[in-house]
Amino acid sequence: MNNCKPCGGAIPLCMVDEFDLPADIIDRKVTKMKMISPSNREVDVGKTLSETEYIGMCRREVLDDYLRTRAKKHGATVLNGLFMRMEQATADGPYTVHFNSYKDGGKVGKPETLEVDAVIGADGANSRVAKEIDAGEYDYAIAFQERIRIPEDKMDYYKDLAEMYVGDDVSPDFYGWVFPKYDHVAVGTGTVINKTGIKQYQQATRDRSKVKTEGGKIIRVEAHPIPEHPRPRRCKGRVALVGDAAGYVTKCSGEGIYFAAKSGRMAAEAIVEGSVKGTRMVGERNLRTYLDKFDRKYWATYKVLDILQKVFYRSNPAREAFVEMCESDYVQKMTFDSYLYKTVVPGNPLDDVRLLVQTVGSLLRGNALRQGANSLPEAASSGRRCLSAAAKAADDPSLGCPVEYIDLRGTSIDQPAVCKYTGNKYYSDDWQAH
Amino acid sequence: MRSSEFAVGRRLCANAEGAAAAAPPEAPKKERRVSPLEAGGTLKGAEAAGKDASAVAKNVVLGAADTSQKVLQLEDGRFVDYRWTDGRWDLSKFASAGGKMDWDAWNKVIDAEMARRKILEESPIPSTNEEPVFFDTAEIPWWAWVRRFHLPEAEKLNGRAAMVGYFLAYFVDQLTGFGLADQQNSFLGKLALHVVVFAVLIFRTSSTIPMYKNLLDEATFYDRQWAATWDGQARPSETEKP
Repeated sequence: MNNCKPCGGAIPLCMVDEFDLPADIIDRKVTKMKMISPSNREVDVGKTLSETEYIGMCRREVLDDYLRTRAKKHGATVLNGLFMRMEQATADGPYTVHFNSYKDGGKVGKPETLEVDAVIGADGANSRVAKEIDAGEYDYAIAFQERIRIPEDKMDYYKDLAEMYVGDDVSPDFYGWVFPKYDHVAVGTGTVINKTGIKQYQQATRDRSKVKTEGGKIIRVEAHPIPEHPRPRRCKGRVALVGDAAGYVTKCSGEGIYFAAKSGRMAAEAIVEGSVKGTRMVGERNLRTYLDKFDRKYWATYKVLDILQKVFYRSNPAREAFVEMCESDYVQKMTFDSYLYKTVVPGNPLDDVRLLVQTVGSLLRGNALRQGANSLPEAASSGRRCLSAAAKAADDPSLGCPVEYIDLRGTSIDQPAVCKYTGNKYYSDDWQAH
Repeated sequence: MRSSEFAVGRRLCANAEGAAAAAPPEAPKKERRVSPLEAGGTLKGAEAAGKDASAVAKNVVLGAADTSQKVLQLEDGRFVDYRWTDGRWDLSKFASAGGKMDWDAWNKVIDAEMARRKILEESPIPSTNEEPVFFDTAEIPWWAWVRRFHLPEAEKLNGRAAMVGYFLAYFVDQLTGFGLADQQNSFLGKLALHVVVFAVLIFRTSSTIPMYKNLLDEATFYDRQWAATWDGQARPSETEKP
């Protein structure tokens, strides 16, 4: 309970209303979102937001604590402990949960047991409850994030603005972000398909946002898994999984907090309804009602975001098209409405058709530029990056050094390539023979 | 030390003209032979830059553009190009004579944007608030895109369809005796014609087939995981119909 969860901490507007959260839970109200493409094209999303609409940024330690305290006030018994295992003596009997209690505040937990009728596993991506019911694995993304305290003048820029970087330097299948937090920013990125490269992607995210975030102090480094899809088994007997433990994180935006809270509430409601307010024993059937409702309500949302991710995070030209497309007010309105209120309001069909044409156009143009670039002569582009160096003595041509292209393949600090005009030595340290 | 900087557009050679401008004003003695520098080379104007010369070399010869102008460079993490101002391509720098944005001009814009994207893809630069980028590819009119990218491709596909169609028609003629005109008039013939044309459109290269298969796999990638919970399970909403 004293843990502080690694989490972006963005909560949609409807969550504040639906879960009656007080205003002071929200540290910052983000009203602008800047999307930045591989070629640095930037688009401000959020022009369509009204005065009262915002994305709330909260700290999970504060939010979690508030929710716990409120549950306690309403009669819940809160136990600080670490779930170890559980067992069921008879087929229909109660579950005995073994956990290490930290009630007395010691470093080492005291083993205790508890008999319960139903278990809801809300213990995150590394869920032990899921392991107990043999729920199966899911693919996950690794998200890496550094919390950086940046100078005040730079922080001012991020006071109500979040940034989202796309590009294959930043992440091959996700995005890099700079999110404002309480009094600092979180700079991070994530990936599923190349987790070993996460450090390199984080460095790229830092580089891309360098001018806006440099001079800061890293106050915390976090890494955490983000589920990509639900576990094959989310319910067994009177045990059900919710939130990250079940795998309810959307693709594309990587958002899970609302769905975690909502699935938890739905599971609780299913139990209350199934047990007729505690007068009857619940069964697997009641818990399955929650799963059924959740799947029916949100499956389409997950599918749409999955498709969006596959289309627009596919390649750099697609990312360029994605950013270009977000310039449209209609796209911004639809995105924010679906994010903030978690309901998809069908738009005007004419606008939808226009959007489709625009999207296909943007994608075609982006891809055409990319395909054309492949056939560009080396001289028109920067050539092989770092493997050729352009030497020039000064801007004044009378100094006698014309532009010279030097092949740096096979060079090292001991055996540099020498410019035959100036005598300057060049080498490349990232070249390796294949 | 290494540099990913890139420089095109340096001065290639001194301008041929103007070197003899300071000839002494002497009394006319005789018709002197003009010096080689005055006489110039055998070609004049843009042709003097050589066959198929680069734009930069032509500009140097014509003395038109300032040769210190930078083209497609990265300097201290900034993209520098004399045609790039305020986060977009300055169209007036591309315009043809008379300031017209014609096909040539738009083609140059496409070239420049293509190269800019390639450079930034290979050496990403930080995004800054001082120099935001606004250029939108939609600013280039549709016909420029069609002419640049679609027409060459269409040429290829039309040629391919014609070749395959002609070859098949010839075979059918040999085998069945139905001539070209008869084939076109029959329903089956029309159907076959359409099959050929659409097949040529859909399967353009040999890599297309694995690509379509891949797309199908991707589109349904996580569906099984979502459905796994309901394998052999009755969904309450389906069984409890009132």
